[in-house]
Amino acid sequence: MNLARYVISLFVILSLNFAIPRAMPGDTMTNLLGEDVILDDTLVQEIRREMGLDLPLREQYLMYWKDIMHLNLGYSYHFHSPVLPLVLERMKWTLLISAPPLIVGAVLGTLLGALAGWRESMRSRLQTLIFLIIYSTPPYFLALMSLYIFGFQLGWVPMKGFYTTGSAGNIIHHIILPVVLMSLFSASRNYMIMRGSVIQERQMLYVLYARAKGLYDSQILFRHVFRNAALPIITLVALDFGFIFSGALFIEMVFSMRGMGNLIYSALLYRDYPVLQGSFLVITLMVITANVVADVIYGILDPRVRGR
Amino acid sequence: MIINMHKKVTILTLILVTAALMQCSSADEAVLRIGTQDVVKSASILGDSNMGVFAHLSNPPLMKMNPDGTLSGQTAKSYSVSDDGKTWRFEIDDNLYWSDGTKLTPEDVKFTFEYIADKYPPAGWIKNTVDEISVDGNAVVFKLKKPYSRLNLEFTTYNILPKHVWETIDKPTEYTNEGPMVGCGPFVINKTDLGAGVIYFKRNPYWKGKEPNIDSIELHMYDNADVLSMALEKGDVDAYYKYAGTYPYTGIKKLEDTGNFDFVEKDNVGLVFLGLNLNKEPMSDLQFREAISYAINYTEILKIDALGYGSVPNRGFVPPSMAHFKETPALEYNPERARELLARAGYRDGNNNGILEDADGNDMKLLLLARSRFQRVGELVKEYLSAVGIGVELKVVDDTTWMKLKDEYQYDLTITRTTPWGMMMHANWGTGYFDSRRTGEGVLHVLSDPEFQKLCDDILAARSDEELKRYAHSVQDYYAENLPGIALYWNKVFTPYNKKWSGWISDPLYGIYNLDNFLNVKRVA
Repeated sequence: MNLARYVISLFVILSLNFAIPRAMPGDTMTNLLGEDVILDDTLVQEIRREMGLDLPLREQYLMYWKDIMHLNLGYSYHFHSPVLPLVLERMKWTLLISAPPLIVGAVLGTLLGALAGWRESMRSRLQTLIFLIIYSTPPYFLALMSLYIFGFQLGWVPMKGFYTTGSAGNIIHHIILPVVLMSLFSASRNYMIMRGSVIQERQMLYVLYARAKGLYDSQILFRHVFRNAALPIITLVALDFGFIFSGALFIEMVFSMRGMGNLIYSALLYRDYPVLQGSFLVITLMVITANVVADVIYGILDPRVRGR
Repeated sequence: MIINMHKKVTILTLILVTAALMQCSSADEAVLRIGTQDVVKSASILGDSNMGVFAHLSNPPLMKMNPDGTLSGQTAKSYSVSDDGKTWRFEIDDNLYWSDGTKLTPEDVKFTFEYIADKYPPAGWIKNTVDEISVDGNAVVFKLKKPYSRLNLEFTTYNILPKHVWETIDKPTEYTNEGPMVGCGPFVINKTDLGAGVIYFKRNPYWKGKEPNIDSIELHMYDNADVLSMALEKGDVDAYYKYAGTYPYTGIKKLEDTGNFDFVEKDNVGLVFLGLNLNKEPMSDLQFREAISYAINYTEILKIDALGYGSVPNRGFVPPSMAHFKETPALEYNPERARELLARAGYRDGNNNGILEDADGNDMKLLLLARSRFQRVGELVKEYLSAVGIGVELKVVDDTTWMKLKDEYQYDLTITRTTPWGMMMHANWGTGYFDSRRTGEGVLHVLSDPEFQKLCDDILAARSDEELKRYAHSVQDYYAENLPGIALYWNKVFTPYNKKWSGWISDPLYGIYNLDNFLNVKRVA
């Protein structure tokens, strides 16, 4: 039953991936050659024909599915490259700046959130205030401010790009600030949710019962409360994992990084159908996989789900 | 044991000395770093328009524009045109060599134009204009189907390609090369590193022209204007460049205050203007256009959108920075006069609700389509027109949507811009933006008036500079009388550079991105 649900989801989403870019005004040809170039109509029609844009939508849709089945993601006339290597290249870099924050944010946010929710103190209040400030600050602003302080004023980090020389140390030097920022964003969100969730859980009767049994605080928190309170976090982390290749647009824009976020944004502006379709295909597959994984983990953690 | 110790110390000393020497030699090397927001998407000099401009340094076009707007030869030493305007002869510089050591020949030039005419869509016009390209001694001769006065101007934009490299490339717009690329300019593209966001130029070892004062050039691309400003101030880059754009006016004072920067200041050839859909009423009514021209507060727009760095434009549209500029009456803000003109033209507010009615008696509501970068100007224009009773709905859209809607004429008024090359395309002096016989991504193609189109044809067929000048003035008179588009301001282009460098040369077409500039710029002692 679940498998059928996933297959249907995949079909619907991939069909939407075809339809939505085409529902936007303009097409791949509209913004291709630069705004101060004069063309004659015959030439425009010729290029459109070459791109297959003159075909009826039904035919384009059938070709789209045929290409997906053959793992042919097409050619980008804006990036002058077949889409598959282009997307793979960007994914590699995106993974480098997105994966560490996903892990660090999940671990840090969940643990600190659980502790802050379990026992309130001056330190936990201060911690909450800091995470709340990070959580509610627009990413673009925080990224720009951080770059101003650590890149411009202190000169600790470079102002742009994934690397200059390409050595491992050089890459780490370039990505450290974006990774820290994204980790903080991820941790702050997970922290707020976990803290709220633990505050709710600690009112439950099973906590009282565990205490009456003589269990230590840390045992109650990490053996019983944590397991129940972490369920919403699993959904969020699974979603994060699903969107890991969608990139972090604002971070990429501020740090002039050519990741997936930048690629998708440019493709949207230029109505680059093949790149949009290719990128969305990857994101779709990742989201569905993440959902499958989340369902499995839910089943392991929560017997009620397993029983359904 | 002691010997081993000595060995270690010697090796360590050697390493340190070598490192120090390397440091010294890299510090001595004169590397000019330019920061730009013209981000290259792929290393394709014919497929990516920004890359095409950057390649002017490695593959210099046949012609160049001088700082005063006149044209002279670049890869061509000189040129001449026959009396009937149908034969153009370009004498190729005999002293140019490709970076792989082979000599640049007229055959390379002939190949370039035949090749791009056939395979590069923006150069498709060559097929319709040029009858035959031939080599005569050291010259390349273009025999045209009909006189075409702009050939020398057109040839300021196309990069010259080495035949022995490109003849095997079937789809040039899809061809990418991350370097090193074979070029014949003083600097050639050594590496295009898109991950690092840098294009590296190195000296062409076979360059025999004027000796450059710099060893290499790096073009650093930034997605974000604020970060680029920081990089400039911090010293990561030495100068700023943006095709058809200026350094943000809001940042000029800050850079000035550091005391480390000077600016190349030039009048922009491009401009921001109000376009009108002349195929629709009431925009087709000259009196209505006149009224609109009086309703706009040009001084305020200039102050708000360009911080006063410019001037109120004339009715003749064309800015003074263009060749053969003619002084026409300045546009004037006079809302009373606008109201009078509207009343005289029959536009009345019968129900006294403050909005004039159209021919059908309905409240007038014009669709003002603005490209997103001109949102603020759009809001101001809406306010001015509303103040004289013209109802306006403002729609702000991204560039692609704007192109689609304007090509389908789904607008009444629009806020857009012209670029320097855009002002020069078609029959020059902004004609490419209006002539209905032309199409393109940034052009409006709304003017079908035979008088205007004949003027364009006359310009294209002109045989002397005197003739061109006369027609140029006629075009500006035509704009002033008919207002097919209303310039909103003429602005200045500021290019900041670090005072550690001097000798900057800017031309009206590509600003500081010209070959003479990079041969002239030097590090201040």
